[in-house]
Amino acid sequence: VPGGAAALRLCSTRVAQEGINKPVIDRIIRVDHAGEYGANRIYAGQMAVLGRSSVGPVIQQMWNQEKVHLKKFNELMVAYRVRPTVLLPFWNVAGFVLGAGSALLGKKGAMACTVAVEESISEHYNNQIRTLIEEDPEKYKELLQVIKQFRDEEQEHHDIGLEHDAEATPAYSILKTAIQLGCKAAIFLSERI
Amino acid sequence: VKCQHYPPVRALQASAALRRASDEHKKEPLTSSSQQHFDSPPASHQPEQEPQGPHPSYTGQGGQESEDYESEEQLQHRILTAALEFVPEHGWTAEAIAEGAKTLGLSVAAAGMFHSDGSELILHFVSECNTKLSKLLEKEQKLVQLGEAEKKPIDEFLRDAVEARLRMLIPYIEKWPQALSVLLLPRNIPSSLNLLTSMIDDIWHYAGDQSTDFNWYTRRAVLTGIYNTTELVMMQDSSPGFEDTWRFLGNRVADAMTMSNTASQVQSTGEAVVQGLMGAAVTVSNAETSRAVR
Repeated sequence: VPGGAAALRLCSTRVAQEGINKPVIDRIIRVDHAGEYGANRIYAGQMAVLGRSSVGPVIQQMWNQEKVHLKKFNELMVAYRVRPTVLLPFWNVAGFVLGAGSALLGKKGAMACTVAVEESISEHYNNQIRTLIEEDPEKYKELLQVIKQFRDEEQEHHDIGLEHDAEATPAYSILKTAIQLGCKAAIFLSERI
Repeated sequence: VKCQHYPPVRALQASAALRRASDEHKKEPLTSSSQQHFDSPPASHQPEQEPQGPHPSYTGQGGQESEDYESEEQLQHRILTAALEFVPEHGWTAEAIAEGAKTLGLSVAAAGMFHSDGSELILHFVSECNTKLSKLLEKEQKLVQLGEAEKKPIDEFLRDAVEARLRMLIPYIEKWPQALSVLLLPRNIPSSLNLLTSMIDDIWHYAGDQSTDFNWYTRRAVLTGIYNTTELVMMQDSSPGFEDTWRFLGNRVADAMTMSNTASQVQSTGEAVVQGLMGAAVTVSNAETSRAVR
């Protein structure tokens, strides 16, 4: 059946399913996984255009951190037996197009995109942290730790974007609003389908 | 073993309630007798099952909860389990439920708690089969983890899991087509679909599937197709021991494996072709450049 043998292993990495609020955790992990996947593709798109420019190394470094995030959510997805969103192939393309498109606007454009996306993601992670703390901070301690750490790193990316003159992009506020609207829609959809 | 939640068909909440209750080792005599129901229906019926405590108190429902308080869901669950024994004779009908209620010492009017088309009875049965399958797969997994059994290759694992699940239909095979048509009623589709998808997901989980991309969906869709077609073949199969069905199943699983191998071959061939073309383009452009220089 499709997919290499590498994806099949003894399922000993399961997390105890009893007592957790499965619908809430499902949504959280599904949307975070989709988000990190999309972020990966955005940075890939930016690198495709700006990889050899002066901001190449900066983008590469942020991309590497996103790869680590995605890997972590892949593990959590298997451990909690969460279904990935159906829209993954779509986020694959859309993310790359967004990254490449914003990079074609120049280095500042790419940074503006980064600022917009990272701000959305940080806010989104904060909401999740609030939700989990309201549920049961003890039960979800590990998950909370992961999300807090990732939120801090996304915030760093946001700050790096600002440092690299994101705000000097022409039509910065329009671009930022449009991208954040797209992020909100992506989050809404990925939580549900 | 995943806990399943269903839309408000109450008899099903009984299954969930029962699973929770059995974790508190309250209902053991019931589950062991339901095992026997699956294996040898018409003949034996266990009178020993009755004295598992004081009788359920209908009148007690508005009153205090004692330790032996049985909820309506648990009661319905017991009736449906008892009714399974009468399905080969009466089909998935209110008669079977009435007979089941009788064996528990209840009035046949208890069948009035349920729909006349036997929906709850069928859904209850499917849910119980899925639970049995989960337990079986979990047991096998433990054996492999303890090193007492060999890990099966993926096609064998899928084949065995589907076969084990379909074998649970054998005692009821005459009446199963009727059950399938009831499961397809619009009213029942959310529940029956839910049961089907969680069963397929369970099988893949124990097979060791760790995909987190679109493969997650492809694999489950393929296995659902295999399961459904094999189930239909089984309805028509009159060979001894259903050997035609198992052979069909083996072929479908093998097809799926081939399809996946072909898919990855196509992908690597495609990548190789693209690289070849890129190399040719670079060569041609170098040749042009060197000719221009000369």
